[in-house]
Amino acid sequence: MPTINLAGKTYEVDEDGFLQELDKWSEDFASAYAKEEGIDGALTDEHWKVINYLRDYYAKFGIAPMIRKLCKETGFDLKKIYELFPSGPAKGACKLAGLAKPTGCV
Amino acid sequence: MGFDPKNPLKDRITDIGPRDYKEFLPPVIKENWGKWLYHEILEPGVLMHVSETGAKVYTVRVGGSRLMSVTHIREICDIADKHCGGKLRFTTRNNIEFMVDDESKLKPLMKDLEKREFAGGSKKFPRGGTGSGLTNIVHTQGWIHCHTPAIDASGIVKAVMDELYDEFQNMRFPAHVRISLACCLNMCGAVHCSDIAILGVHRKPPIIDHENLPNMCEIPMTIAACPTGAIRPATVDGKKSVTVNKERCMFCGNCYTMCPSMPLADEEGSGVALLVGGKISNRITQPKFSKLVVPFLPNEPPRWPQTVDAIKKILYAYVEDAKKYERLGDWAERIGWERFFEKTGLPFTDHLIDDYRFAYTTWRTSTQFKF
Repeated sequence: MPTINLAGKTYEVDEDGFLQELDKWSEDFASAYAKEEGIDGALTDEHWKVINYLRDYYAKFGIAPMIRKLCKETGFDLKKIYELFPSGPAKGACKLAGLAKPTGCV
Repeated sequence: MGFDPKNPLKDRITDIGPRDYKEFLPPVIKENWGKWLYHEILEPGVLMHVSETGAKVYTVRVGGSRLMSVTHIREICDIADKHCGGKLRFTTRNNIEFMVDDESKLKPLMKDLEKREFAGGSKKFPRGGTGSGLTNIVHTQGWIHCHTPAIDASGIVKAVMDELYDEFQNMRFPAHVRISLACCLNMCGAVHCSDIAILGVHRKPPIIDHENLPNMCEIPMTIAACPTGAIRPATVDGKKSVTVNKERCMFCGNCYTMCPSMPLADEEGSGVALLVGGKISNRITQPKFSKLVVPFLPNEPPRWPQTVDAIKKILYAYVEDAKKYERLGDWAERIGWERFFEKTGLPFTDHLIDDYRFAYTTWRTSTQFKF
């Protein structure tokens, strides 16, 4: 399985770069990974608001939230989410938040 | 500007949609847009449309393998450049159509298409697919590219079309026959509404990878994916996972779509099911779903002889017996399904009796039947 080196630590990821051991996630992981996902500079409070919401929801319910839920709870519309995470809520935000890779006919 | 991975959003163009189809119309189509009076099928694979201005357009339809290389597309372009002013189109069943505006250009085009062959001897551009005959098989990815298939797509399609090649080039059926293939019961494409449908099915429950499941899958999504409620959450070796009630599992593979840790494809377990009698047009009778008539045939790469054989049996029983304009489903319903099984020689087994939820309406609530 491929690994990725971020801020001096090694993480196991799949071929799309999703974290394979979800309990290894840390804020450093997200911060260091942001550059790979086309996010300029450091993660802002708005980025963290999305990431923290995703992590809380996943911890509580065991699934990633629906897009509409994410937009409603964070107060960001989808356009804003794409501005924050250029590769989108699933491939961008969920990846940084250390959630399982989205499945189904994507 | 070349793409700069350090600055991916620079010079990015987005949301421009597809090109306007009017940019690519042959002049004769553009000039007679919305003015067509009637059309004729001159011979298998050749159509003529006549406009109210008197203009005519001749269309030559040739088979395509759907999965094709750029080299092949370039050859198609060369033909279009040579005969059709650089214009061509693909049909909704992935055939290729070359159009010319004068009868004198038709013969040279047809001759050119006919003589082109692959090194192995297959026709590159077989003419046909019109009228009440057989046209291309709508199909899916199979073992070429997908991760959930139970059967291959391209391989079976080639085997079936080789065997029924004459029918592609003829129009001697009672009505047109649409064959389609899907490699799992996601049914991408048209299998649920085709005259004859080839469908990939499994016969074994998923094997659960408890080690990786908690990291790779959203457990609630996996549970909700099951149409029969066979999946339950469970703790295995101290880790969150799921269990499958094998008695309730009907091997649809939906859980594997949602959860990569539950694979179920199997060399002996997976194979072909055949469905028949679907249609989507409203001509005479309403659109119909296709119905299961062969529950399982094994995967037999590279030529799938049993599958091809069963399809031929069904097809020729229909061709021999049906009335003009009668689609396969119309024929089966007119003579009754018990006669369908008699005439095709297919065995009727308990697998074919619907037992999903409100299956009751598919049973016979009448004394009307034939011995």
